Amino acid sequence: MKIKVCVGSSCTLLGSMNILDQLDDLKEIIKEDAENYTDEELEVEAIKCLGFCKDTEEKVAPVVVIEGEPMYNATGQAVMEKIINKIRK
Amino acid sequence: MKESYVDLINIRRQVFAKIAKMAYEGADLEELEKASFEILPGEVATYRDSIFRERAIVEERLRLTMGLNARKPTEYYRVTDGISEVDVDENRFIEPLINVITFACEACPEKAFYVTDNCRKCLAHPCTNVCPTNAVSIGKKRAIIDQEKCIKCGRCRDTCPYSAIVKYDRPCAAACGVNAIESDYLGRAKINRDRCVSCGNCIIQCPYGAISDKSQIYQLIKSLKSNEHMYAIIAPSFLGQFGPLASPAQIFEGIKQLGFVDVVEVSLGADITTLKEAKEFLEKVPHEIPYMGTSCCNSWTIMVEKLFPDQYQYISDSASPMVETAKYIKKKDPKAKITFIGPCISKKLEALREDVKDYVHFVITFEELMGMFVAKGIELSEIEVSDEIQDASASGRGYAIAGGVAEAVKKTAAEIDPSREIKVEGVSTLQDCVKLMRLAKAGKKNGYLLEGMACAGGCIAGPGTLASLNRVRKAVLEFKNKSACNSPLENEIIDRELRRN
Repeated sequence: MKIKVCVGSSCTLLGSMNILDQLDDLKEIIKEDAENYTDEELEVEAIKCLGFCKDTEEKVAPVVVIEGEPMYNATGQAVMEKIINKIRK
Repeated sequence: MKESYVDLINIRRQVFAKIAKMAYEGADLEELEKASFEILPGEVATYRDSIFRERAIVEERLRLTMGLNARKPTEYYRVTDGISEVDVDENRFIEPLINVITFACEACPEKAFYVTDNCRKCLAHPCTNVCPTNAVSIGKKRAIIDQEKCIKCGRCRDTCPYSAIVKYDRPCAAACGVNAIESDYLGRAKINRDRCVSCGNCIIQCPYGAISDKSQIYQLIKSLKSNEHMYAIIAPSFLGQFGPLASPAQIFEGIKQLGFVDVVEVSLGADITTLKEAKEFLEKVPHEIPYMGTSCCNSWTIMVEKLFPDQYQYISDSASPMVETAKYIKKKDPKAKITFIGPCISKKLEALREDVKDYVHFVITFEELMGMFVAKGIELSEIEVSDEIQDASASGRGYAIAGGVAEAVKKTAAEIDPSREIKVEGVSTLQDCVKLMRLAKAGKKNGYLLEGMACAGGCIAGPGTLASLNRVRKAVLEFKNKSACNSPLENEIIDRELRRN
């Protein structure tokens, strides 16, 4: 599963590095309980500013894209829940 | 920074970005009256019981970020009262640095041991049996601790087979290594200024974000717009702080795009401090002074000055890396105005010292700098750069991590005089700093070089950081390996005279 975490300036200011740390930890959580998850690999990538925040006046940062689908105002818990629901057996 | 306090961190940083944006745009400061509405729009509270209280607290943050004092809740003030005094292009910082936003404080109860629902009133009830003051009895529903009798030794908690007894403490007070957190008449946190060393650990630990320092970013940005001799010096822990894709050279270039003419690594000053402290140690210990304390961490030196005044003379006379780096720039450009960018808020106080204030003119944190990048629309990872940064030795770059200072001084002293072996000891929490000084005072650390750091893990764990400790540690070690030289004795930028044995 491809997970892209925007680490542009606005997203970094509002916590995208924490989301990256939490995704590292999620890999550990899955490893500890491997038999309950599919063996799909989490491919986490930190990416340059996607420009979502620059096209709008709305608050969108941080942005995380999971399998092509963007999540705005992403929080660690929402991102992890979405991933876990996709790979839990 | 405590990464899991996501909402608090975000509010704090949005305020930094807002003030930085206003400064760059030269906005009318009357707009501050409505800035809290922009940061927290709508009428539904997200963080607290009421949106009005949330906004009032954001207003205090706006004032503190402007460098103003927090308002007294008992008196009428506008958000912008006093604003003309800080609407200037020079540092107008006034103490105190650490401020409790009184109406954001939830007056958490003071330290105690409590019995929770886990208690089953078991037959063995070891909690009652181990209590040295006979304070625990078995009540109708669960064990009861007589708080009058309890001396908070924690034996009952340790022995309970159901984990039914918990220790409770105010997070601010638990974080404070010098017992500077007291209570006001409503039970809210109040800082004892005679003890506080401005390390900022209470700021990062308070789960209500009720404690905050003051910022200088507004005045700094005004100065960047009017002065052409603005230099930035950046602390060794800057690696990895601004996102995993921003390289050191891109960070330096991004800082220049904010309006600075040049950026220098504070690790260069660390190399100079290493050379001076090594020579000072070899010269003075043990004949003139019994041991020597390092001088880099400002909160550690303030702690020694306040709590162990008779030992203060044993702290190294060598200036901190911040000051040495600033002196290096000042020598090249006497008109230089220098901004220290670091993980540390205590440096804001160090810069006020009589012997420092002519060298360091502004101090901001990495978090505040990130707010400036956002305000100016700078994307670090998209900046094109060719140079690599080579101001310092690997040993100077190691200052950011606990133990790095003592290691650098020890190694360099051994290079200068191989016949001497220096014993070193380092600690990195304020609590441990106090313990270490007690031992030193009792004569148990004679002959030692003592490295004290107020933050757990060293500067990489400072209150003004953006990235987690592990992330930064990795990046610092990587950058250390890229240094062109290992020892400050080989650093060609430093005066030959100082590098001579």
